Amino acid sequence: MDRSLLLFRVALLLYALAFVNTLIPMLSGRRRTVRFTPWIAAAGACAHTGALVALGLALDRCPIGTLPEVLSVLAWTTVLIYVVLVWRYRIEVLHAIILPLVLVVLFVSDLLPEQVVPIAAPLQPWLRPLHLFVIILGVAALFITFAASLVYVLVDRALKAKRPARFVLALPSLDRCEGVGRTSLFWAYLLLTLGIITGAIFNASLYGHFWAWKPRETLAILSWMILGVVVVARLGWGWRGRKAALLTIVGFAAVFLRMLGI
Amino acid sequence: MPIYVYGMNHASAPLEVRERIAFPEDGLVEAVGRLVAIGPVKEGLILSTCNRTEIVVHAPADASAVLKAFLVEERRAASEELDRHCYLRADGDAVRHLFRVASSLDSMILGEAQILGQVKEAYSAAVRGRGIGTVLDALMQRSFAVAKKVRTETGVSRFPVSIAHAAVSLARDIFGELHDRVGLIVGAGKMGRLAAQHLMASGVRTVIVVNRSLVRGAELARELKGVTAEWDRRFEAMERADIVIASTAAPHAVIGFDDVLRVSRARRGRPLFFIDIAVPRDVDPRVNSIDNVYLYDVDDLQGVVQANLEERRHEAESAEAIVEREVAAYLGWLRSLDVAPLIVDLREHVRNVGAHELARFRSRLGALTPQQQKTVEEMTEALVNKFLHHPIQAMKRIAANGGGDRLTFLREVFGLSAGEPRRETGRPGATVEGRDAAPHHPESSGAEAKLGAVEALSGEPDDPR
Repeated sequence: MDRSLLLFRVALLLYALAFVNTLIPMLSGRRRTVRFTPWIAAAGACAHTGALVALGLALDRCPIGTLPEVLSVLAWTTVLIYVVLVWRYRIEVLHAIILPLVLVVLFVSDLLPEQVVPIAAPLQPWLRPLHLFVIILGVAALFITFAASLVYVLVDRALKAKRPARFVLALPSLDRCEGVGRTSLFWAYLLLTLGIITGAIFNASLYGHFWAWKPRETLAILSWMILGVVVVARLGWGWRGRKAALLTIVGFAAVFLRMLGI
Repeated sequence: MPIYVYGMNHASAPLEVRERIAFPEDGLVEAVGRLVAIGPVKEGLILSTCNRTEIVVHAPADASAVLKAFLVEERRAASEELDRHCYLRADGDAVRHLFRVASSLDSMILGEAQILGQVKEAYSAAVRGRGIGTVLDALMQRSFAVAKKVRTETGVSRFPVSIAHAAVSLARDIFGELHDRVGLIVGAGKMGRLAAQHLMASGVRTVIVVNRSLVRGAELARELKGVTAEWDRRFEAMERADIVIASTAAPHAVIGFDDVLRVSRARRGRPLFFIDIAVPRDVDPRVNSIDNVYLYDVDDLQGVVQANLEERRHEAESAEAIVEREVAAYLGWLRSLDVAPLIVDLREHVRNVGAHELARFRSRLGALTPQQQKTVEEMTEALVNKFLHHPIQAMKRIAANGGGDRLTFLREVFGLSAGEPRRETGRPGATVEGRDAAPHHPESSGAEAKLGAVEALSGEPDDPR
């Protein structure tokens, strides 16, 4: 446990460092170091991987058992996706949104006491981690959607105001934001839907019924439906642009609130 | 390191003078040849653009009189005129000036990109005119590196400062790459034509031309390999287009709010970018308030350009800091070159001692296998290197900090005579071999000694075995 905690702290430190690194040019005007941000974050992800493996070995189970663990894995997945996106699509500005999100999630994870959610001995030991991991992937994808939508709204505002955004980080074009937002939204919704289905199966195997309208389940289905409206609007009706981005941010908020109250 | 820059730029001389003094491009190589043929000038380079004419030389003594005479002779300039408009920068100031010029910090349009290319051309012309020796070569290479550093590490060249480039940059902020975008040209006049050409140069492949007179519209469309549409159907064309450039001579707006609202609905939120370069304006200003529609008129673009210029000026501050650091580093390096002949001498001296002693004791060793022979030689070499490592490191440090006297002292300590001609030619006064008429030591021309010296500086292993 100790080793995993140490590695976890190292990862947290590296993420924080990566975030501070994105702020340097805004504070001092020196742009040179910004390009190391994905590397620092990737190093953090490596330490984080080590922490998760060590934790899993120490507990002798998949480290997606308690809420802190789930949040930790969520942060880890998000960083990995972000690193891949930055390398593939050069959307540097994601730093400024994704890294603080990751830090918040990790701090919450670190603050929560161990074993918040006592789990009844699972009948199928792989179903619960699978259910949670699918949801985690979905939420991580949704983080990206949120970041892309937020950048869209910012760039749009700057363009409308006749003051093209002069952020220190190169901002992606509206088109790029739209594309990344749309793709990640598609995957997020697909994974979250799968997550709800596996959750229902998990329920069935544990309690003998699929759905009980417990508050957490109700909230889950509600946020899923709100997000569904966004998905239908953007992918079905072909909604684009500012309003679609704003709507997406609302959908993200619904899912995020539900998630923090797992 | 006697380096001089003599000349004029856009700040010191009016265009009318600059254009007379400027060297024609095709005679530049010969001019450099004539420049370095002048007695005191050892190396020389001529940088001549529409904004500046500058002569960079390496010469042992104050060269301003010679350079002035050269300009008077070459460009038929009046002496008083040169006195009024020319400046002379020496040594550290000359290095700084050159770095600033190459980095476009001395340009009329701060951060413009052409100057580095022009400096590189001047350099290559000077090479062909045999004006470049070790001193100017190192200086020019350094200035290219500094320029690159300034360009990548500061934003001094980042944001566009012309209206046309600003418009294209805005289009990229919206659409990213412009290859798959469709441009709509409303008004086939001169402005429209220029804007369309610029748009296509930026990657747009398809253009639609709409003009009140269909014939003229078709003419421009043919020229741009695009298509034309009737004036009354301009809003249908707008549904297909992404970037609209309006430049008609109409006295009132020809693209109204309600029309664009309708178009925007049909486009289902795909962004539409209006560039209104007509005066009076062609597009109703309220159009900008429609979702996913962006409208920039001439004043807006001018505002963007002004903001970008401001940004460049701001970035220039950190660029100046980079230049300042680089000048200091370069001067330190130049000073450390002073020590190079001493290092060469010292190494040769110790090596000779080693070889001599080896020869003396060789007979006492008796017959050796080639392997043993090699080992003994290697040992001698290793001994020499190991012995010299610390003294050489110390000499470099001393020289970089400008301790010339102490180097003389070291010469004395090691018993190296100070009067060898090599030492003289090995100083940064070295010239390109064969060009300089000054008498050289038969074995080592200046360039060779210098090369040896540079090797001595760079080839020294940090950790001798």
